[in-house]
Amino acid sequence: MSGPLGPTGPPAPEDPARKPAGLVGQKPGDRRVRMERPRAAYFRYEGPGVLVARPKASEPTTPVGKALARVRRSLLGRPLATEEEIGERLSKRKALAIFSSDAISSSAYATEEILRVLVLAGAAALTFSLGIAIAIAIMLAVVSTSYRQIGYAYPSGGGAYAVGKANLGRYAALIAAAALLVDYIMTVAVSTSSGVEQITSALPSLAPLNVEIGVVAVGLITLGNLRGIRESGNIFAIPTYLFVGSALLMIGIGVVRIVFQGAGGPPGQLPVAPIHDTVSSVSILLLLRAFAAGSVALTGTEAIANGVTAFKPKPSEAHNAAQTLTAMAILLAVLFVGITFVSQHLGVVPIDDPTTGKVQQTVVAQVASLVYGADSPGFYLFQIFTALILFLAANTSFNAFPRLAAILAQDGYMPRHFAFRGDRLAFTLGILLLGAISAGVLLLFRGETTALIPLYSVGVFVSFTISQGGMVRHWRQTREPGWRRRMAINAFGCALTGVVSVVVLVAKSPESLLVAVIIPTLVGLMLFIHHEYRSQAQELEVRPDVVIGPPHRKQRVVIPVPGLTRAVVTAVNFGRSISDNVVCVHITDDLEAGERVRARFERQLPGVPVVIVESPFRSLVNPFVAYLDVTYTDPEIITIVVLPEYVGRHFWDRVLYNQVTNRLRQALVGRPHTVIATIPYRRDA
Amino acid sequence: MPAVPLKRVVLGLSGGSADPFVVRLGCQLVRGQRAELIGVHVVEVDWSHDLSEDISSGNEQAAAVLDHAETAAENLGARLLTSLLQARHPGAALVDEAVALGADIMVLGLPYRTRFGGDFAIGRTVPYVFQNAPCRVLVAREQMPVENRAQPPLPAAVGARA
Repeated sequence: MSGPLGPTGPPAPEDPARKPAGLVGQKPGDRRVRMERPRAAYFRYEGPGVLVARPKASEPTTPVGKALARVRRSLLGRPLATEEEIGERLSKRKALAIFSSDAISSSAYATEEILRVLVLAGAAALTFSLGIAIAIAIMLAVVSTSYRQIGYAYPSGGGAYAVGKANLGRYAALIAAAALLVDYIMTVAVSTSSGVEQITSALPSLAPLNVEIGVVAVGLITLGNLRGIRESGNIFAIPTYLFVGSALLMIGIGVVRIVFQGAGGPPGQLPVAPIHDTVSSVSILLLLRAFAAGSVALTGTEAIANGVTAFKPKPSEAHNAAQTLTAMAILLAVLFVGITFVSQHLGVVPIDDPTTGKVQQTVVAQVASLVYGADSPGFYLFQIFTALILFLAANTSFNAFPRLAAILAQDGYMPRHFAFRGDRLAFTLGILLLGAISAGVLLLFRGETTALIPLYSVGVFVSFTISQGGMVRHWRQTREPGWRRRMAINAFGCALTGVVSVVVLVAKSPESLLVAVIIPTLVGLMLFIHHEYRSQAQELEVRPDVVIGPPHRKQRVVIPVPGLTRAVVTAVNFGRSISDNVVCVHITDDLEAGERVRARFERQLPGVPVVIVESPFRSLVNPFVAYLDVTYTDPEIITIVVLPEYVGRHFWDRVLYNQVTNRLRQALVGRPHTVIATIPYRRDA
Repeated sequence: MPAVPLKRVVLGLSGGSADPFVVRLGCQLVRGQRAELIGVHVVEVDWSHDLSEDISSGNEQAAAVLDHAETAAENLGARLLTSLLQARHPGAALVDEAVALGADIMVLGLPYRTRFGGDFAIGRTVPYVFQNAPCRVLVAREQMPVENRAQPPLPAAVGARA
């Protein structure tokens, strides 16, 4: 086999107790020794000087840590290695379901938001709902056409932050990022609250528990994402298609009834204004508010352009993404306009519980009830599908928010922890933060979708505007074939979404102004974080042309000692191994006791000077720090404070021991030219 | 042909270029069976060292042989147990280990030696295992590089004298 090998790695410690036993072979004189490989359980050799940690190396060693790891494993599953990451490419059919759930699900509440505004002006005003829905659908066409171009221009993923950063500079990019972060939080809150409302519309007895159900739902989605749910697979595709199918069927049946049976009419409980009075009674501002409320239908349109890389590469990712985006826009427009048309002609208006003020039955649930029949299986199934797609829409934010936070963290605009992936390859901190904030928002707004809507969609349109504006700049700079036409499309989209941003902000004020405050605050926070990281990097930077020579600074070792113990001996021996200048300092308020300590040191640890600092005021830490300050002031000399620390075997030992050591450590952290070395002493060592 | 029922397959790993093929062969042998796959690497200890002197456990080269084999087996969907031995004679150690483990078959590699014009240096391990191992032995001889393959003889010219 291999030739005689000398030990090329670190020499094994000389430990007679570990000497392996020889095994006798079949023939006389044949002996072999089976060698233990203690490192093999923890690390795998990958190449010269490169080791790969095995799962055991990441396992905690303390009993408490092991117990926590067991709990985490049962909740979140086993840790995944980086190489286990799923890199599945999505077909158009699957991608449509996965990326469109956010956009398509908004058709479940967008109509209701229009009607809630129009109903304030009486039943006749409800006739404007269809026109408003068509106007929003036209805007959707413009926005989706613009985003098709982004997909082609940025096949690696054209999020508003990326497009803004590449073309408009960091301020625009950060505004887009902040707007998106707010949007993702609101998507979770709105989708969850609307999903819960669909459930309570079918089961009114659960209505008082809507906030609790919403928070539990957010908690479960958070937990699922911490386990590493991927936006792939049929599990996520099925609810979308079930909702789309059942909603299209509902619209179809509704249209047939309206056309052939002339079903519906204005609701009886509302005052019906004569038609010639309608325009005067419905102010332009009310129409704008209804338009702004209904524009939530556009949320999630950008998802496909952000995820171009997830598509199959033939004929090209961008081509497949563009086709899927068009299909999504058509579906959303048909569903939104269709539901609005049917609800208008069936005379559906939002119904709230007069006692609690909460939604009694959503508009889409009323339409389903009228079309499929109240308490029919079709009605309940539709409600289940609607709730499912809404929860799925909430889940999409759990994918997007942590990823954007991770990108921002990599760029130095958010704390670096956001870029670290947990055991299950998920951006744990981002997921937890999104879950916590969304649950908080749900609690704050008592789980009412209508109360949340004013805060929604402002961020979406801001990010739309910035990404479209960035694309205008992109086409001007690249001047690719057909750039004028493409630039015109994006410019129109930018102008339209810019105007809508202002309309939404004004029409939904004063609630929407909260978002107008939050976004700049977030931008300021991100700029502050970036500034901190940049200044720290400048301070720590080593110029690439500098060759670092050997250290020439002298060092002294100072060891605070309470007496002569084994822990102190270990610390003193360590100190003597790194410097000849070792001093033990004994702080005491009893000089005689101090002298006894010194005498014992001289007898048992000869050659180690002991300085006694008498502290009449019984203070320990400050006299020690003051001693360090006054004894050596030469900045060329590094002071190494060696702290003996007793490592207990029980958790209560932490309370009983090392209190002074901890206080000393806290007092010395950050002291210039000082290194703190803690030397542990184990009882079983 | 139905697969030979196996319980334990021992792979002799030398750290040479034939090791990946030996591992692949071993994985194919145990596929579909509940057989153990054990990779054995023997570090030959010369007489200047005591046999029990630990010269291999901290040795990167020895670790690399077994770890690379383990990785290769994992990539092929098999689990490879490993054993690191020190011995004066690798062949004897392999045979003794195969007996101790109750191996049904042992797989060894025979790499092509490019030095000295290129040949298959059988050495003393393979013959020893052939002669002494009680189990079946499979030697996976490496493929000969194309440039070292013997050229076909030229056709004799018509009328040429022998």
